[in-house]
Amino acid sequence: MNQVPGCRQVRDEVMSGRTTCAHVAKNAIDIIRTVDESLGCYHEVFDTEVLETAEALDRQVADGKDPGPLCGVPIAIKDNIATRSGRTTCSSRMLQEYRSPYDATVIRRLKDAGALLVGKTNCDEFAMGSSTEHCAWGPTRNPWDTDRVPGGSSGGSAAAVAAGTCSGALGSDTGGSIRQPASFCGCVGLKPTYGRVSRFGLVAFGSSLDQVGPFARNTEDAAMLLEVISGYDPNDSTSADVVVDPFSENLDRPIENLRIGVPVQMMSDRNDPGVNARIEEAIDVYRSMGATITSVDLPLTDYGISTYYVIAPAEASSNLARYDGIRYGHRCTQQPGETLEDLYSRSRSEGFGDEVQRRIMLGTYVLSSGYYDAYYKRALQVRRLIKEEFDRAFNECDILLGPTSPMPAFGIGDDMDPLQMYLCDVYTVNTNISGHCGISLQAGFTDSGNGLLPVGLHLQAPPFQEHRLLRAARMFESATAHHEAVPENSPG
Amino acid sequence: MGRSIPYHCTMPEGETQQVRDTRLIIGMEVHVELATRTKMFTRTPNLAHPEYYDSDPNTLVDPVVAALPGTLPVMNQRAVEMSMMVGLALNCTISSFSKWDRKNYYYPDLPKGYQISQYDLPLCINGAIEIPGSEGGNRRIGIIRAHLEEDTGKLGHELPGGATYDGSLVDLNRAGTPLLEIVTEPDFDNADDVVTFCHELRSICRFLGVTEGVMQRGHMRFEPNINVVIRTEDGQEHRTPVVEIKNLNSFRAVRGAIEHERDRQVQQWLADGRVMGPGAKSTRGWDDQKLVTVLQREKEDAHDYRYFPEPDLVPVVVEQEWTDQVRDSLPELPLQRRRRYESELGLSAKDALAIVDDRSFCMFFEEATSEAASSDAFSSIAQAAVSCSKLLLNAVAKRLNELQVGIDELGITPAQLGQLAVLRQSDSIGPQSVDRMLQLMQETDLAAEEIAREHDMLIVMDKGAMDQWIQEAIDANPQAADDVRSGKMAAIGRLVGHVMKASGGSANAKEVNRMLQARLRN
Repeated sequence: MNQVPGCRQVRDEVMSGRTTCAHVAKNAIDIIRTVDESLGCYHEVFDTEVLETAEALDRQVADGKDPGPLCGVPIAIKDNIATRSGRTTCSSRMLQEYRSPYDATVIRRLKDAGALLVGKTNCDEFAMGSSTEHCAWGPTRNPWDTDRVPGGSSGGSAAAVAAGTCSGALGSDTGGSIRQPASFCGCVGLKPTYGRVSRFGLVAFGSSLDQVGPFARNTEDAAMLLEVISGYDPNDSTSADVVVDPFSENLDRPIENLRIGVPVQMMSDRNDPGVNARIEEAIDVYRSMGATITSVDLPLTDYGISTYYVIAPAEASSNLARYDGIRYGHRCTQQPGETLEDLYSRSRSEGFGDEVQRRIMLGTYVLSSGYYDAYYKRALQVRRLIKEEFDRAFNECDILLGPTSPMPAFGIGDDMDPLQMYLCDVYTVNTNISGHCGISLQAGFTDSGNGLLPVGLHLQAPPFQEHRLLRAARMFESATAHHEAVPENSPG
Repeated sequence: MGRSIPYHCTMPEGETQQVRDTRLIIGMEVHVELATRTKMFTRTPNLAHPEYYDSDPNTLVDPVVAALPGTLPVMNQRAVEMSMMVGLALNCTISSFSKWDRKNYYYPDLPKGYQISQYDLPLCINGAIEIPGSEGGNRRIGIIRAHLEEDTGKLGHELPGGATYDGSLVDLNRAGTPLLEIVTEPDFDNADDVVTFCHELRSICRFLGVTEGVMQRGHMRFEPNINVVIRTEDGQEHRTPVVEIKNLNSFRAVRGAIEHERDRQVQQWLADGRVMGPGAKSTRGWDDQKLVTVLQREKEDAHDYRYFPEPDLVPVVVEQEWTDQVRDSLPELPLQRRRRYESELGLSAKDALAIVDDRSFCMFFEEATSEAASSDAFSSIAQAAVSCSKLLLNAVAKRLNELQVGIDELGITPAQLGQLAVLRQSDSIGPQSVDRMLQLMQETDLAAEEIAREHDMLIVMDKGAMDQWIQEAIDANPQAADDVRSGKMAAIGRLVGHVMKASGGSANAKEVNRMLQARLRN
């Protein structure tokens, strides 16, 4: 089975001389060429650049140098993260030809660590969506069933990792946009604590909720990536000056007397039965490893979606105001006699898709004078209460456990109304609202009636406890073989 | 200040009323561009810093200024500190906790589609300053708040070089310049006091070094909020709707706009009877050619700015220690300085005002005075100060004016000027040498006395030489000598002139006069 090996494996093989970065790079590009036509993970593949970088790295290795912890590791980048290479489109007609003159901090850190950036991946436009269908250039398909969505908004990155086209990928998570597609595609996806990873260069959607995070095929690789991209950045005032633990060390050491809380709100009987069955099994796995399992009540999390759909669109309506067609991005062809207002209105109507426009309108409305107190201010108050509820829960338990998504991947083109779509994030949004960290792990499969689909296990930990989160995840992984499953659509 | 205008007015009820008097109510909003080295939220140079004044369009732009996707603001600490200085100078409380908000609106000179400002929790609150009132005495002006924000870019219709362009051009050099907005209580009732306040504020800001205050460059922009209380003969008071005049950038415009509004609002009230109330505020601009205000916006179509807390920045937390440090670093402010010059140094009010008007000039004066006062020639600091101020306001000012330069660019050090004052005080050089001395001091850093000696301007006190010149003068002008001997003192000038000529101008004329009299009259 030909897959790009994982991060740890690539790094070890390159440094020990068993392979070269150039070989890894060529292999990755071949695999992308083979599978991506049917999956549509990538907007752009940096073939020439990747080979050049790989050769330069090989020369360093030959000279006995260590070019960094991700030396030769092929990484895919969600197309809402600014890269000097290629375009940064956010899957939007608005930024169809936009090229960033600078690298995001996370990109700089990956490069400094010796990673190979293979290309930019598809996503819902400006990261707004849960299916990677709301894209200017067509959807991405789920490697487990190409008639289904990979989840979203970071669906391209999730599918690219699941299909073995790269060792890992970066996505962004505002309400579940890393964890939900990881769950749909059967890989690992981690949303770090707000402030853990710099947002400089991440195209803003909901500034107080956005975080960049890694996709990988196992927790160790996720830990390696997180270690590299984390840390204080003077270019991001909201990044936290908190010590970055070596996340990938001591990963195999199980947490003794692990206290796991299972929120009753998450084990709803409205969930897909297969999803609930896999989560119950996961609970048993932990119990068998000596963890204590308690049920916790988080009643306020029921208000998560409503709170999120006030705060995120409000911030988005302001964040997306800069796409006005004046300095860069799509500008309509002006007709004689048109006013400045016409220029704005038409450029934005042509440049943005429906979902983006819907959220801009929502956000503009909730911030309007006369409505601000009833919506935005109230949402901020609920947000604080939700955070306090999590703080209390984390006093009682080390980890919260539940499903990442109430259901497995749904079909491409399924006629979901926006509200149904928003409910995909019901178990993930609260992590962003409260600001702590969460991870989605492959927990087995559910039968769709037309083949097996991955189910995601969602673990959450308190702010800046990513190491705990990863170690708890590793416990599950070491006791099961779910993460080794590979989709048939993978080449080989 | 009341002002009687003999208007007839028709009240809304239909009865005719006579305006007894009117009273202006004015509150000021003043924008000050801070001269930090870099912009408010990024490291790119700031147009308001003297080194970057004349930058070519769009050269002070980086990804943050252009609002490229993914960029984030980072607060300029120095801008906060400068704002604290102004706040403290205006006797404000510095908030220990203030925060940033986004003010959302679309305009091509606003790259992000929102301006980062401070909405409900500004950095400085509740201050006041005293200004000399136009009717004598001091007048207290309350300061409601002073908050920080970022300036916008500029729209133009002219290509570099001056050719007109059919369309709009955006220059983002000014975008992101730190802007301090100071808001006063509506404590003014006349244009004179407003102008005095604006002058005073500019002077304070210049002394604090937070701006050069060049009005033509828009370093300070004034926005008066004006309405009028009209009292009719029946004793009733009628308040006209508040009008905000935007973006005035000269003191003349401030005065013109206020005076025009006073009359216009009364006429308007006579015509429509509209009074102050919710939604009745409008915005007007000032036409510098026609000298009238022009309607820009009625409240009805006012923007909804959709303010909300800026999620990309953390709140500004100011520890008491920081405030104390800034307070301790404040220089003496212009008003206090003027009062001190008058009361302690004996300068006239006019001279004190002239010296304090410009910070560099004032600092120069202080240094020159302290140099002069260190000499025994002056019996007091006050005496030295008066002497230095005279030199500065006359000979030096004339020279600055001719050369069109500032005191810092003249090439004369304050020490040299102080030494010059000493030489004059001790009659070591004559008054005719002052201009020549200034000219020479511009070219060299040598001490004034050395310059004077080198160029033979030192008045010679050599008794032998003097005696000889005096004898020669008497011998050469026997008639004049006789006249002096017989009490016709007018004739002594001829003898003095002879001595001065013989000495090449280096003799002290007063001394020569005294010695001649001693020789001839005894």
